[in-house]
Amino acid sequence: MDIVVLVKQVPDTEALIQIAGDGVSIKTDNIKWVMNPYDEFAVEEALQIRDANEGTVTILTMGTDKAVETIRTALAMGADQGVLINDPAAEGSDGLAVAKILAAALKDIPYDLIIAGQRGVDDDGYQVGAAVAEYMGIPQASLVIKEEISDGKIKCDCSIEGGTVVTEAPLPVLFTTQRGLNEPRYASLPGIMKAKKKPLDQKTLADIGIDPSTVGLANRKVKIKALNPPPERKAVKMIEGETPEELAAALIKVLHEEAKVV
Amino acid sequence: MAQNREEMPLDVLFVGGGPANLAGAVHLMNLAKEKGLELEVGVIEKGDIIGAHSLSGAILDPIALKELVPDYMEKGCPIEETECRDEFYFFTKNSQYSVPFTPKYMHNKGCHIVSLSKFTRWLGELAENAGVNIFPGFAGTEVLYDSDTTGVLGVATGDKGVDKEGKQKSNFEPGIELTAKVTVFGEGPKGSLIRDIGEKMGIFSGKMPQVFETAIKEVIELPESSPFLSGDTTVIHSFGYPFGLHTKGGGFLYRMKDSMVALGLVVGLDYEDSGLEPYHAFLDYKKHPVIEEVIMGGKVLQQGAKTLSAGGYYTMPKLAVNGALFVGDSASMLNIQRLKGIHTAMKSGMLAAESIISAFEKDDYTVTTLSEYETKVEQSFIMKELKAARNFTQALSKHGVSQFVHVGAQFITGGRGIFDKMPIEEDSSTLEKMTPAQVKMLETPSAREFDGELYIDKLTGVYRSGTQHEEDQPCHLIVHDLNICAGECYDHYRNPCTRFCPGQVYEIEDSGGTRRLKLNPSNCLHCKTCEIKDPFKNITWTCPEGGGGPNFSIT
Ligand SMILES: Cc1cc2nc3c(=O)[nH]c(=O)nc-3n(C[C@H](O)[C@H](O)[C@H](O)COP(=O)(O)OP(=O)(O)OC[C@H]3O[C@@H](n4cnc5c(N)ncnc54)[C@H](O)[C@@H]3O)c2cc1C
Repeated sequence: MDIVVLVKQVPDTEALIQIAGDGVSIKTDNIKWVMNPYDEFAVEEALQIRDANEGTVTILTMGTDKAVETIRTALAMGADQGVLINDPAAEGSDGLAVAKILAAALKDIPYDLIIAGQRGVDDDGYQVGAAVAEYMGIPQASLVIKEEISDGKIKCDCSIEGGTVVTEAPLPVLFTTQRGLNEPRYASLPGIMKAKKKPLDQKTLADIGIDPSTVGLANRKVKIKALNPPPERKAVKMIEGETPEELAAALIKVLHEEAKVV
Repeated sequence: MAQNREEMPLDVLFVGGGPANLAGAVHLMNLAKEKGLELEVGVIEKGDIIGAHSLSGAILDPIALKELVPDYMEKGCPIEETECRDEFYFFTKNSQYSVPFTPKYMHNKGCHIVSLSKFTRWLGELAENAGVNIFPGFAGTEVLYDSDTTGVLGVATGDKGVDKEGKQKSNFEPGIELTAKVTVFGEGPKGSLIRDIGEKMGIFSGKMPQVFETAIKEVIELPESSPFLSGDTTVIHSFGYPFGLHTKGGGFLYRMKDSMVALGLVVGLDYEDSGLEPYHAFLDYKKHPVIEEVIMGGKVLQQGAKTLSAGGYYTMPKLAVNGALFVGDSASMLNIQRLKGIHTAMKSGMLAAESIISAFEKDDYTVTTLSEYETKVEQSFIMKELKAARNFTQALSKHGVSQFVHVGAQFITGGRGIFDKMPIEEDSSTLEKMTPAQVKMLETPSAREFDGELYIDKLTGVYRSGTQHEEDQPCHLIVHDLNICAGECYDHYRNPCTRFCPGQVYEIEDSGGTRRLKLNPSNCLHCKTCEIKDPFKNITWTCPEGGGGPNFSIT
């Protein structure tokens, strides 16, 4: 089973995030970059499937030079090879353009299964996974918390509000991950050493046959008008009380008198 | 060694990714290249990335940097301000006196202002480009000794994926035994591994006790119109208020790039007042007219705390044992008189690298060859500076005006002063028992106002430090006897841990007269003040799961 995992490098959401002078982007100088947390689930699931069925795990990323670190992390976790689409002309692409680029890159990579995070925690666009499946013309399942592969088919438990939907489709399939799918492994020290020697291909848009004038910041279908920081987190208030009844009463009091929500 | 752990052999292992070790690793690669030696070199760092646990002032004396990277400006060394133009004050509550005669060691001509976090990140990149294996997110948790504990074989990294009860989770990843011909310990102040080596190999025996200071620091973004940003002064140092002449400490304010300033307050951990809360002292310092005028309208971008080793010369351990060397703050090489340790740390790492090259050339990694490092340190500017400052921390521990007499005499005599080898008292033994009046004061705290922007409370500060730990892991703070907390410590000192910890890790829960210590280890800023200052030595700090802790990026 050959699996491709779509991985994105994103700013750590706990890192110091500051809006840049242009008002539509963030300052990137002192940011800590990490693997998108939903992609960690994707890498872990891919490794588990490969280890149970043989085959390979390929990491596919679109990003800048820095993104090499994130691919290396995935390789250190145990993936076999990495492909980075690294082209200044691709920077600032919207979800659809990213999907188009990844789909073009996938033409050269054999796969039975593609796994992606449900969304990148930076733009929160929720589009790339679904759009890649559309470009490839393959079935997709989203927000998967459990999967099972047998007889060339994959059964997925997809989470919906308050429950799950169980879907089934013949491979190749693309599915996106939801929290709860697994507990991603740590990159081990020997894994990190081995990762340095694993193949990591870098490609430009020309290499994968994409016309630069159809992607990138200038060709976004949706433009960002403004970024606003979230409201400051307020201090937590601990509810005091001995018994459950006392605690409940104290909570109601606070909700009623201070928060004014009940 | 434990049997079930995998071993990963290296030639040289650096424990800790601070300026000492990173400079050492870069220098080692440069020298190895010159000599045609092929070395497998690794650096482990408990922070999630290099720089995540680096917090300093910092005024950098570039003496070692110039030697390591002569064209550091061209190589993109992140410098906030190239020039230091100082003001030096004695503060009273509402006023200030310019110190007319600034001692030579307080001059910062030729020094630069840097953010240590940015600086170590840059050094880390240099090291990586030179071929060093950098392993951030890995804490050294155990020293590996040879069978009769006469030599160091390496370090084991901590297990990952262990739950609160100590059981393995599904993503359990066992620690690794990193073995090396030479292991260099640069854990910074109060290292948890060097403590073990001290106990097992006696490297601190016969020395005066290790003593420390703790600092709380913020990086504040000022409005672009702030006059300080375009003024002449780039550095403000002060002493006096918020401390009196009984407690040693001082404040610093440095101008940075991008409309930022670094603001910090350092307190000597030999303070006696059990009621003292360094965080409150820091808030008071921020309200001093000189400081307030500069920071007005600003916003705290990042906050953190860290200790620095203050003992210097008379507290330095043995610097070499079979298979291991000790560098930087771990080896008490900070010059407390200048409040500078980056340059001595870097130089010590580089001298360690030179001795390691000799060891490889002779194929002898015992103390016989490695003690060359001790000689090199002795002959370098490190020792010259530390000798001149050898009685400084002791003088400042004197009360009242007599400290000035001592400091003055040391200045004139090149460090000897009125008595040489002035004794040092351990920080854990200096707290005085609380008087009823003090208890009363504690029970009626003065109200403080926080605006969430420039003035923030402790927990908001923890949030701004980016501190994150895996929640489901064993507690990394070991409190040996909880009865002491509820009993003796409460009775005599009213649990000073609840005050000296800048991260609100320690709280006393009082339910109907029964008191219990409650720990919030996830808030831990890794400053280690608790292990140093607890009057009963009841707390031991150990490394939590690698990658946990603050996420400093501009401190
Ligand atoms: C508030 C403040 C202001 C200062 N101002 C100045 C100044 O203006 N100028 C100046 O020159 N100096 C200044 N110093 C001192 C200076 O920062 C230190 O002397 C210097 O950082 C020491 O370098 P080091 O490499 O020895 O240790 P550190 O910088 O402390 O680095 C040690 C590293 O090791 C890691 N580590 C520790 N234990 C382990 C372990 N077991 N496993 C893995 N990793 C581990 C830590 O996370 C840390 O990153 C200041 C210090 C403070 C706190």
